[in-house]
Amino acid sequence: MTTGAVLSTHDLAQRLAEAEATIEALLSGQIDAVVDSKTQTPVLLSKAQAALRESNEKFHQLADNITDVFWIRSPDLREVQYVSPAYERIWGRPVEPLYADPQKWMEYILPEDRDRVATAFAILTGDGPSVDLEYRIARPDGEIRWVRSRGFQVRDAAGVLIRLIGIITDTTEPRRLQAQLMVSDRMASVGTLAAGVAHEINNPLAAVIANLEFVAESLGSMGSQPSATWLLEEIKEPLEEAREGAQRVRLIVRDLKIFSRSPADEPSDAVDVKAIMESSARMAWNEIRHRARLVKDYGVVPAVRANEARLGQVFLNLLINAAQAIPEGRAEHHEIRVSTRLAGERVIVEVGDTGAGIPPEIIGRVFDAFFTTKPIGVGTGLGLAICHRIVTNQGGELTVESELGRGTTFRVALLVADEAESKEPVPVKPAPVVGRRGRILVVDDEELVLHGVKRMLWKEHDVVVVPAATAALALCASGEKFDVILCDLMMPDMTGMDFHGELSRIAPEMVDRVIFMTGGAFTARAQQFLSTTSTEHIEKPFHAANLRAMIQRYLR
Amino acid sequence: MATKTELSDVKLQLRLYVAGNAPNSVRAIANARAICEEHFNGSHDLEIVDLLDHPVRGLADGIVVTPTLLKLMPLPVQRVIGNLSDTSQVLLALGRA
Repeated sequence: MTTGAVLSTHDLAQRLAEAEATIEALLSGQIDAVVDSKTQTPVLLSKAQAALRESNEKFHQLADNITDVFWIRSPDLREVQYVSPAYERIWGRPVEPLYADPQKWMEYILPEDRDRVATAFAILTGDGPSVDLEYRIARPDGEIRWVRSRGFQVRDAAGVLIRLIGIITDTTEPRRLQAQLMVSDRMASVGTLAAGVAHEINNPLAAVIANLEFVAESLGSMGSQPSATWLLEEIKEPLEEAREGAQRVRLIVRDLKIFSRSPADEPSDAVDVKAIMESSARMAWNEIRHRARLVKDYGVVPAVRANEARLGQVFLNLLINAAQAIPEGRAEHHEIRVSTRLAGERVIVEVGDTGAGIPPEIIGRVFDAFFTTKPIGVGTGLGLAICHRIVTNQGGELTVESELGRGTTFRVALLVADEAESKEPVPVKPAPVVGRRGRILVVDDEELVLHGVKRMLWKEHDVVVVPAATAALALCASGEKFDVILCDLMMPDMTGMDFHGELSRIAPEMVDRVIFMTGGAFTARAQQFLSTTSTEHIEKPFHAANLRAMIQRYLR
Repeated sequence: MATKTELSDVKLQLRLYVAGNAPNSVRAIANARAICEEHFNGSHDLEIVDLLDHPVRGLADGIVVTPTLLKLMPLPVQRVIGNLSDTSQVLLALGRA
């Protein structure tokens, strides 16, 4: 029998006694060194303690001074083991109560964000190795702050979850700056184009004015020229030209509207990329035309889910970038190609140019904020960074391909909108007017509008015009009946919204007869009102045929 | 029965593992020398080994902490852990109480 192969009970008892003695000696401070079981070398306890003390100090120096909150919690989150002092600055609350009652952590989160946070952290206590989310907290001074919280699992060598640690960053200020930058960049791109657009508007407007003056003069001289046929011949063409010029102004203003929506209100809708690209191309035309031909290659694509104004901003930016990559003067030799196609669940929109191309060493940085290759004053260095963010926020992707000397192509991949979302604008048929003669009340503070609308309608209907909502209310209160009330939305003394409210009180039977006429410059309240009310509206400027068709529906 | 007589016949052989001149090690060396002087009257060998200089020897003897006093002979091997300040405990472990 070999010795030492089997541990006898005596040996076992002795080893236990030795272990006990070792522990006792350790506890009573009689031990100087311990052999590290991994490296099998002795470690002086005094050194180990000093090292531990030092590492502890370093940890505190770091944790106490970083501006982020650093926390340690038990694997089940029931216990808060450490929270760095930055907590007191961000939360505006003392840290001690958190140790006593870890539930307080949740209490300080805004109620509407709590479920999201609870779900994320439930995953962290289970099998999710990390979480990363943003939520809002309420400070005792009433201020709401955004924080980004990243949490991680810590496991020992055996894979057992021993604690949870995390970092929380105050993102309130970065978020505010981001929003500001996005607005200022939009202002910058609109600013770049302001001169071009003014030019675009002034030309047709000059034609309108000139033609109308000519007509007025012709009518003034009618006395000596009694022939009505002559007059008709004389003024027909200038009137036609004036109408055409006005039509062009209307289109330009509509394009401009895309870029001027308030940033606070950013809903995603089913939108037509081709229409937005066309608007953007018209806006950028002044930049493009001296440099390149614009080639359009629109494939048939479904609507995408995006915000119209933001997507317009992206396209405009890409078009202007494309134009600025091409030197001026040889427009026939260069092209900017815009295309749309469907690739699976995504609509691909490309803007390509035959310009200078981007050197490979900087192509990785083109989406970085403040990275610009343009001279100072030409680019903000934010355009592409913001485009990238906008596209990503809408669930899409913005990528770039470039070849030095051959050109650059930016590719926007956007999610196809759900079918339920795509609301095709109902085509208004200029239906032949056959309905009965109605009684129409028109309310607008702008005299020119009152006259214009009256002129559009007076042949088929009895038209009453009033310059203020108060006057309209007085009429309705006195028992006058109307088939349709056309009311301006934004008037100085009483808005269309207030008129609508008052009318439902004094003459409720007339309320569903109201059609709002809207300008363009909406207040947030007006937008909110229009999106919730069942009352129809028609956007100024409108065609007589559309207005007549709308009114006919109320006369049936 | 025979072992008992053998025990007192065999020369006491001790080995004390210490860690440099750390406080408990210094104390253990002093205590070990004093006990040997007083109770064994020269019929012993006391070897002092610095574990920091001879880690491999410590491994061979299964040393986990210092100070550790090993009684190598007579068998069985016994160890006393700590700075040896409790003389009666030390003597008990060495079988000379």
